[in-house]
Amino acid sequence: MVSAARILTYQGIPVWRHVQVIQWAAQIISSIVVVALVVWFFTNISGAIQEREIPYGFSFLSREYQTPIGEHFLPYESSDTFLYALFVGITNTAIVAVAGVFLATALGIFIGVSRLSTNWIVAKLAMVYIEFFRNVPLLVQLFFWFYIVLELPGVRESIVIADVLYLSNRGFSMPWPKATDYPVALIWLGLAVVAIVAGALVYRWRDRMEERTGQSSYPLIYGLLVAVVIGAAAWLVLSFASGASPFYVSVPEPQGRFGNIVGGFTARAGLLVLLIGLVMYTASFIAEIVRAGIQSVGRGQTEAARALGLSPMNTLRNVTFPQALRVIIPPLISQFLNLTKNSSLGGAVAYSDLFNIAITMTQTAPSVSIFMLIMASYLAMSLTWSLIGNLYNRQIRFVGG
Amino acid sequence: MKRTLFLFVALSALVLVLAGCTQDTSALESENASLQSQVSNLEAQVSTLEAQVAEQSAEMESMTMMEGSRLDAVRERGHVICASRDDVPGYGGLDAAGNNVGFDIDLCRALAAAVIGDPNAIEIRLITAAERGPTIQSGEVDMLVRTVTWTTSRDAGWGNYAQTMFYDGQGFMVREDSGVTDALDLAGATVCVTLGTTTELNLQDFSDQNGLDLTVSTFEDTDAVVAAYDAGQCDSFTNDNSQLAALRTALSNPADHVILPNTISEEPLGPVVPHGDDQWFDIVKTVMGILIYGEAYGVSQGSVPTAETGNTKVDRLLGVSGSFGQAELGLDETVAQDVLNAVGNYGEIYSRHLGPDGINLPREGGRNALWANAPCTDCPKGGQIYSAPLR
Repeated sequence: MVSAARILTYQGIPVWRHVQVIQWAAQIISSIVVVALVVWFFTNISGAIQEREIPYGFSFLSREYQTPIGEHFLPYESSDTFLYALFVGITNTAIVAVAGVFLATALGIFIGVSRLSTNWIVAKLAMVYIEFFRNVPLLVQLFFWFYIVLELPGVRESIVIADVLYLSNRGFSMPWPKATDYPVALIWLGLAVVAIVAGALVYRWRDRMEERTGQSSYPLIYGLLVAVVIGAAAWLVLSFASGASPFYVSVPEPQGRFGNIVGGFTARAGLLVLLIGLVMYTASFIAEIVRAGIQSVGRGQTEAARALGLSPMNTLRNVTFPQALRVIIPPLISQFLNLTKNSSLGGAVAYSDLFNIAITMTQTAPSVSIFMLIMASYLAMSLTWSLIGNLYNRQIRFVGG
Repeated sequence: MKRTLFLFVALSALVLVLAGCTQDTSALESENASLQSQVSNLEAQVSTLEAQVAEQSAEMESMTMMEGSRLDAVRERGHVICASRDDVPGYGGLDAAGNNVGFDIDLCRALAAAVIGDPNAIEIRLITAAERGPTIQSGEVDMLVRTVTWTTSRDAGWGNYAQTMFYDGQGFMVREDSGVTDALDLAGATVCVTLGTTTELNLQDFSDQNGLDLTVSTFEDTDAVVAAYDAGQCDSFTNDNSQLAALRTALSNPADHVILPNTISEEPLGPVVPHGDDQWFDIVKTVMGILIYGEAYGVSQGSVPTAETGNTKVDRLLGVSGSFGQAELGLDETVAQDVLNAVGNYGEIYSRHLGPDGINLPREGGRNALWANAPCTDCPKGGQIYSAPLR
């Protein structure tokens, strides 16, 4: 136990200059400030809600929405509920976000590597790209792409490629597989997953063998072969059993008085514009992140790889880039988050993303509740990205060493 | 962590021990007594201060009560804040000089003339259709005049609708060469519409009811809707008929487009005020009434009488004799003179923006004509524009 004598004879630093006392005081004061701000925030909201009779509550979620949703990937009827419509909005946003992230990452890596190219023209072009798209506001870029897409021919004068691809200012249509019979299609999809898993296992087995024996064991070829064979066999068996193939290809075709394209898959103009805008914009940031990552890898690594006789491409792929990933991943995740959140600008170009569906709901439902739902949904999506990114980051960090 | 904890315990123990020491030491007893008297002194001071604080907070409370009155807040601020638009000629658009003018803007000017005495003491907040609800609910604007359709759920959820100032209905515009002559021919069409409007909701009803299976493109800005329709991204463009007429002039070749004869909804448009202030609600209703009454009784801008005219209703309106409740509303006796001098009566505002000098919508014989020209209340003109009696 602490002896009283020690306290009484305390001759150390004065209390007000003691670093631990100062730190504790700072902690306590800042937490009081935070709590006070949160309390003030909530009392202010509830006060305003009462004073101005702003409606509030969540009972509307089970009511029929009865409002059109322009673009939806899930089936949607106007008799569906608000809750379901919100879910439709979330999937719309998720689709743009996932597609955008993949495309932006691919383009960003390409531009970032080009930026470091020894070819003067390629490097300068990449630099001009980055500086242009990084420095012009996203909304302006979206309107720019919107007007470019509007300049495409009208739907009746669509650009037709090989009778199956249609491009007009209403969007881009292409053939798309459609399920003939849902249960059969689902069974085949299940078997396809099995095929992919089997292929992956074979790949790993051959890969280990190659490592162990030092002889080429063609893991990729073996893996693909196994997956394709199982998938094809399942397809044939199911086709014979049910009398029709599980999927058929739906080909787009102009129909009716207005010549709108029916069948296949149509990426409508809003989706195209939003996706192009988001990808071009985000790729410029990703390019800089990639460049910084590559430059952070010690020069000795490159020199050693080249000395061993690796080609520049192999050096980048097998030596520099894997090490650069550790620096790249964390800022890359925040770009994914940005892309997801920026997709809320979709309303400007007629894409029905979560934000625009939800804001339309404020017409017929309490807006305070709706804004809470919007915030919760975006938060959930962002946290999902962070989770995925952090898991991947854990996998590629330094091990041992 | 352990060290910090120790330090904390040590410090508090120190304080206790020191306090104990002082009590025990007899030599310090006299000092102790004087300190105690000081403490009681201070306590007395604290209680007087507390009383003062209570007094002040009561005062503050009464001040916030005063602030609760929007009329006082507006006068204190010196201008009226209206939420409106600048993208539809006639209602709220930009003139050649870049000024924001229109029917909705003039309603805001009339309100400013009534409560401040200066029609130019306004601030227009430009908002999109979808922002209307949250904007008026938050109470950050004094009045929302942005071609807002009166519906019961908006009345319940957004704010109070003062008075219908324009009767509209939703229609469709199509390209003439599409051969469509009736809205029921639109089956399978793509229709462009502004996000967050009753138009959007009515479109769904219309499509469902008639099995038209319309594809909808919703844009946040009306400008973008017009651009998309003009470029052929949509087969049809739907909006209130009067706005369609106004926006047709913005198309690259207006003559190629026709407005279909079908009207699929009722769209009564008028100003909205935030919930929770009855006086302000009544003021806005009264100002709208003054505009309509002014036309009915032939009082027009530039020739507003300032002395008794012999017509008791006109005299009461202009505040030269009698009253229509100005004092209870907190308005000047001659408020109608200010309003009518500043913006003119309803008919003048109409012709300036929506009539022959504006987007040229017909008025005579339509719903937006006056119900009757006073004093002949028995010879109806057949319109629906009508005000509560100002008395």
